[in-house]
Amino acid sequence: MKASSSIYQDNPIWRFFSSVRLAVFLLITLAVTSIAGTLIPQRESLQFYLETYGPNFFRIIKFLHLYDTYHSWWYLTLLGLFSTNLIVCTLKRLPFTLRLFRKDNLSMDSGRLLRMPFKKDWEVKEELDNDSIRSIISAFKDVVGKFHERPDTADGGRLFLEERGKWSYWGIYCLHGSILIIFLGALVGLFMGFKGSVMLPEGETIDHIVNKQTGEQIPLGFSVRCDRFDISFYDNGAPKEYRSDLTVLNGNKEVVRKSIVVNDPLKYRGITFYQASYRAIPEVTVRVAESESTQRLLTISAFQKTLWPEAQLTFGLIQYLPSVHGRPAAQIWIGDREGREGSLWLLKGNKKEFKKGENSYGISLVNARQRYLTGLQIKKDPGVWIVWLGCAFLIIGFTVVFWVPHRRVWLWIGRREGKTIVILSGQTSKNKLQFEKDIREIEKALDSRLGAR
Amino acid sequence: MTFSSSYFLSLTTFIYLGAAALYLIHWIFRVQKVGLLATIVTAGGLVIQTTGIILRWVESYKLGYGHAPLSNLYESLVFFAWMTVLVYLVMEWRVKRRVIGAFATPFASLAMAYASFSPEIEDEIQPLIPALKSNWLIAHVVTCFLGYASFAVACGLGIMYLFKNRSSGDSTGIMGIIPDCKVLDELMHQTIIFGFLWLTLGIITGAVWANDAWGTYWSWDPKETWSLITWFVYATALHARFVRGWAGRRIAYLSIIGFVSVMFTYFGVNFLLSGLHSYGSQ
Repeated sequence: MKASSSIYQDNPIWRFFSSVRLAVFLLITLAVTSIAGTLIPQRESLQFYLETYGPNFFRIIKFLHLYDTYHSWWYLTLLGLFSTNLIVCTLKRLPFTLRLFRKDNLSMDSGRLLRMPFKKDWEVKEELDNDSIRSIISAFKDVVGKFHERPDTADGGRLFLEERGKWSYWGIYCLHGSILIIFLGALVGLFMGFKGSVMLPEGETIDHIVNKQTGEQIPLGFSVRCDRFDISFYDNGAPKEYRSDLTVLNGNKEVVRKSIVVNDPLKYRGITFYQASYRAIPEVTVRVAESESTQRLLTISAFQKTLWPEAQLTFGLIQYLPSVHGRPAAQIWIGDREGREGSLWLLKGNKKEFKKGENSYGISLVNARQRYLTGLQIKKDPGVWIVWLGCAFLIIGFTVVFWVPHRRVWLWIGRREGKTIVILSGQTSKNKLQFEKDIREIEKALDSRLGAR
Repeated sequence: MTFSSSYFLSLTTFIYLGAAALYLIHWIFRVQKVGLLATIVTAGGLVIQTTGIILRWVESYKLGYGHAPLSNLYESLVFFAWMTVLVYLVMEWRVKRRVIGAFATPFASLAMAYASFSPEIEDEIQPLIPALKSNWLIAHVVTCFLGYASFAVACGLGIMYLFKNRSSGDSTGIMGIIPDCKVLDELMHQTIIFGFLWLTLGIITGAVWANDAWGTYWSWDPKETWSLITWFVYATALHARFVRGWAGRRIAYLSIIGFVSVMFTYFGVNFLLSGLHSYGSQ
């Protein structure tokens, strides 16, 4: 063991990475440099930084990737150094921990027991008979519970050992390993997952999404339809709930229906759909008529053209006003195949006429409403469970490291120069205050058997 | 309604201000009886404040909103004060040193005074916005604030340490009744460990919640990043003990810097930076 560790110690790189000093330095550096990304808005266009910060500071921002600080080359390097530091410290510590863990705490002699941080010894003038010794042991047992025994130590005594929490030395590996597990989970999510968002109008279906990072199209393998979007408000006007009724379709078969709200997404085949935002666009229904025989109801949405096939006319919605003298009104754009176009205002209840070429038509506003588009955030992240596992290890490891002690209590009974010697001693890796109380309790129990003499 | 939650909570503000004054008198004039009185007043304040918080919870149900009083800046300040007093009283009960109160209770008094007297802070019960409607709200806020409150106490201990360290050897006067540096160092360490556990749990519950609400467990939102910065500072304080020459005074400084970082995570991010956590500023 000595030889191998000295080979490592001769290596300056190993020495550099195995120091706690480096860990402290890296933690401080990460803390300080992380501030940058909270002061400068992240992931804006380069133009934005040039306009906001001027050409000089812009050059620094561009060089240091401060527009995306936490994915910049230097921040990732810091995290890499941090991980290396963690791994090397762990490896350096491992042989030491193994030695502690494998150590036989029953191979002790009275001399070493008397050098322990907690100790008490009794000297009994005469040699104790077996009954008295048994009563001492049972007093010890009553307080500590289970114990190990070595009937014949090197210096001719009987040794009893109560040992608890020896495994707690592994807590630090659980704690430090958890950080690496969380990093691993993040990497899995980065390389095997995707994120995207979509504005889905009511009644429409998607079967693929666009990856936000790469811009590539990812087929979902199924499709999702938004049946309805609904928004409700409190009396004071604050939004109460955003709700989308979604249906998952496999081919034409409806597989799952779920109403999603913020904080309650839809999960299907590892892909999650979150309620993220919404948009309302006006939609009007008009009745158009060429003669008494050909009339038709047309639905015209904002940002979309609607064709009236019989008359080869195209309609669009330019403006919509919910209330003009208490009635909805809409400005409609009309174009024909020859490229002639014009617009007119419609008030609900009033009929209007317009001409295109030789033909004249009648048009009236039948209905107007808001049509909703639900904003969905769509994500697949197979690494998220690895991250949660890491978090669990982090908490378990932390608890063990700081609150589970390795405690040893020894009781040695032996003879020296015609006297009986009883030694009680103990050692703990943490929480000395509680341990001292426990030791005092054992001491009192033994006193009651020995002190009477 | 005379006995509404706001009645109890404004009463709490004055009680905590009084308690902090009593602890200071106890420290500066070294009157034992005043110390006992300070403890009684603080404990009484805690009972009244608890009543106020529970009443506010009940009132929110009566208004038809029905949510825990942890949803805006006013409520979070009240809860921060409550946690700080609770953490401090547990510590006082365990270590039997009332002088620490002079450095810990002012944080609670200031938080309550700020909540009650600042004109910008809306103290009406408001309905929950959709983003906050989650079972994770209580778990996230309670864990975070248990962390914040512990760090407030640890900061108080850090200040005490620096005071004591300067007046080394002086065992009489107002420095005399401050515990020894060794004791303070150990207490500070234990408090930071305790706070660190809760901060970590606060970050984790926040991540689990964010994963449900925003579709990502970590988005480098300023609030998240600042909580991580705070985490780094206290992680430094925990590791610094193993570096030669770092124990003691430097850890006391780290404890104070850590709390400044907590305060920035709490207030600075809300007021100075924009992000997903903006509901905390109303």
